[in-house]
Amino acid sequence: MTSVEIEDDLLTPEATADPYGLFARLREHDPVRWSARHRAWLLTRYDDVSAAFQNKALSNDRVRPLLAARRAQGSGSGGRPAADRVLELIGEWMVVSDPPAHTRLRRLAAGAFKGQRISAMGEQITELVDELVEGFTGGDLISEIAYPLPATVIATMLGAPVADRDRFREWSDELALVAFGTGGDARAERHERALRGLREMDGYFRELIALRRREPREDMLTALMAAEEGDRLSDDELVSMCALLLFAGHETTTNSIANATLALLRHPDQLARLRAEPELIAPAVEELLRFDGPIKVLNRWVVAETEIRGRRISPGERVHLVLSAANRDPEKFADPDTLDLSRRPNPQIAFGKGIHACIGAQLARMETRIAVARIVERLPGLALAAEPRWKPSLASRSLEELRVEVGR
Amino acid sequence: MRIGVDPDVCEAHGQCSVVDFELFPLDDDGYSAVGPDREVPAGEEGTARIGVDACPVRALRVLSE
Repeated sequence: MTSVEIEDDLLTPEATADPYGLFARLREHDPVRWSARHRAWLLTRYDDVSAAFQNKALSNDRVRPLLAARRAQGSGSGGRPAADRVLELIGEWMVVSDPPAHTRLRRLAAGAFKGQRISAMGEQITELVDELVEGFTGGDLISEIAYPLPATVIATMLGAPVADRDRFREWSDELALVAFGTGGDARAERHERALRGLREMDGYFRELIALRRREPREDMLTALMAAEEGDRLSDDELVSMCALLLFAGHETTTNSIANATLALLRHPDQLARLRAEPELIAPAVEELLRFDGPIKVLNRWVVAETEIRGRRISPGERVHLVLSAANRDPEKFADPDTLDLSRRPNPQIAFGKGIHACIGAQLARMETRIAVARIVERLPGLALAAEPRWKPSLASRSLEELRVEVGR
Repeated sequence: MRIGVDPDVCEAHGQCSVVDFELFPLDDDGYSAVGPDREVPAGEEGTARIGVDACPVRALRVLSE
């Protein structure tokens, strides 16, 4: 089968600014595309991405092989033990695990994310949002509202002192740099600094865990420590879990809030509708996540021969599940490029699917609902102050800034 | 309270299980294993309702309050 002549570079300035045209062409003409540019298969149809979440040939375990390779090379000879420790920490994350390791971690973490525990956070999140929105007099909505909120929520849920919240934000940035940063000489120094920061985070979480073992509380960390069927998380696993909560819960939620706000500003009819019908907020957030969600691409590692839409996919290859393309598939969604806040049903897959569906989805939904509802309600004069620019990132759909005026 | 799933409608989104994996178990492929008719333990009704509402395709139902 010959490759169809279409552009598949997801990182051009055009695709960074608006990837949806490119996604539509791929979805229509070459839905299971080998991209030489990205050295990966690109899946862009809803049905294929959906099926990929269940395909046992596609593995999530993509950090441990890297770590094993580093060890085989002998990281002692000029290697960086700090980097290895961080990789170990990341390698234990359930988002990079397959069953049975995944099943166990997920089961032990699930108690901490139960619906009632999350619902009980509503009041606290509303207070945090109100504090941020009341103090906002215009400028970058991301740095003032969308960015500080999620790290503060995680710090609060873990029971960390208020004074430590800023450090949570720094660690979250450092995790992102180490987990996604590809290094390069110019960034090597930043990378090393991030690793030092993460060692500090490791020590911080260990102290917090020891404290909570002595003095249990009604917080998420205490819930994570609880035994489940005679099994429980070790201290290493708890540190790893805390780092995952911070990392996974931060940038994605920031981008959900920012992208949602931008989409509403670009669709004044829908913004007016949400202001007139605030009870629409739950379906509205589902639609905003579908329309321009925080994650463009999820990665899978091929561990067994498999076939998708007649294309043979081999072990050792990579598959990119293009969530943002699947969420605009006209086979699944009527008028997929139309933002319709009352769309129902809305089986969007911004949080993934099945056993790997985001465990923090309910928390992220609640934060996004409260933040977006308060932003549109409390900032009636909200308007774009500058044309926003997007970060050139493959995985995330992320704005550099969102400069707005609030007319007060 | 009793809840149930319509297996012909379930698309394995797993959003119910995110709310409570014990009330809303999944099978190995991510489909709901709630079954056609399951009793909700006393005190868990609120969580059950959140989980039923979280289904994006309305495969889950509250059968009786």
